[in-house]
Amino acid sequence: MALKSDMKILVIDDMATMRKIIKNMLKQIGFTNISEADDGATAWPMIQEALNSTAPYEFIVSDWNMPQMSGLDLLKKVRETEELKKLPFLMITAEAEQGNVVIAVKAGVSNFIVKPFSASVLKEKIEKIF
Amino acid sequence: MSLLNDPSMKEVVDEFCNESMELFNELEEILEEFEDDPTQTDKLEKFGQIIDRVMGSAKTIGADEIATFCELGKVIGYKSSQVKDTALLEVVCAIMFDSLELLKKMIKQIEEGNSSSFEQVSSVTFVTRLKWLKEKFNDIERSSCAADPEGNLSQTSIDDLMSSLGL
Repeated sequence: MALKSDMKILVIDDMATMRKIIKNMLKQIGFTNISEADDGATAWPMIQEALNSTAPYEFIVSDWNMPQMSGLDLLKKVRETEELKKLPFLMITAEAEQGNVVIAVKAGVSNFIVKPFSASVLKEKIEKIF
Repeated sequence: MSLLNDPSMKEVVDEFCNESMELFNELEEILEEFEDDPTQTDKLEKFGQIIDRVMGSAKTIGADEIATFCELGKVIGYKSSQVKDTALLEVVCAIMFDSLELLKKMIKQIEEGNSSSFEQVSSVTFVTRLKWLKEKFNDIERSSCAADPEGNLSQTSIDDLMSSLGL
């Protein structure tokens, strides 16, 4: 499936620095339609609202470790929702512990990327998902 | 990959400095609360969670020395939250205060455009001290927010694991 430049993407990370970096990378890759959230707890209502509108999110890029709702918990909520079962979900983490990877896969993550990463690695991960 | 000296990333680096300083101030408050009541070891876990956030950003922008300090602080925070040795926890608290002071100095160095002079600010000795402290908790397994720690993986290993799981 070819990547659409206007694919609706949601970037979720509690650090504004990281959201900026990821957004810049996504723009570098060619994406133009990027929203942000600062926690899983902020992102979930956004995802639900978009789902109920004519423009649902088409790709989620989420940090794992967030204060209110972790990336894992958000992923579980997404996968529990029938209409979102196949929503591509890329998990970003600074940790690469094996337990995390297995748990995220069992929860239905689409792919996993470890900080630090470059735009080219991010692009590679996205292309593997799509 | 370091964004510190990339003029096109100045906005990102400035954001990193501002956010990190705010979080370091929050971490100091947490340590002060812990000092007032050393039974609240959950404060140390919170310390580990918060400093982990700075670590992630620091790694991404290439602030490697800050990332190292934060990584050690994260491990020490998480592991020490699982022990009850008051004397050891007092040492943890004191060293973490010192770490935060050094981290703030490092951030100021970046803000002033002197990131290349970290050697004057941080010291190998201090990192050695942090590693010594980390070793005091070698019998504690959990060192992060990971649900089931079984050792770190490289990106290649993760890719292999994902492939073996059918992804």
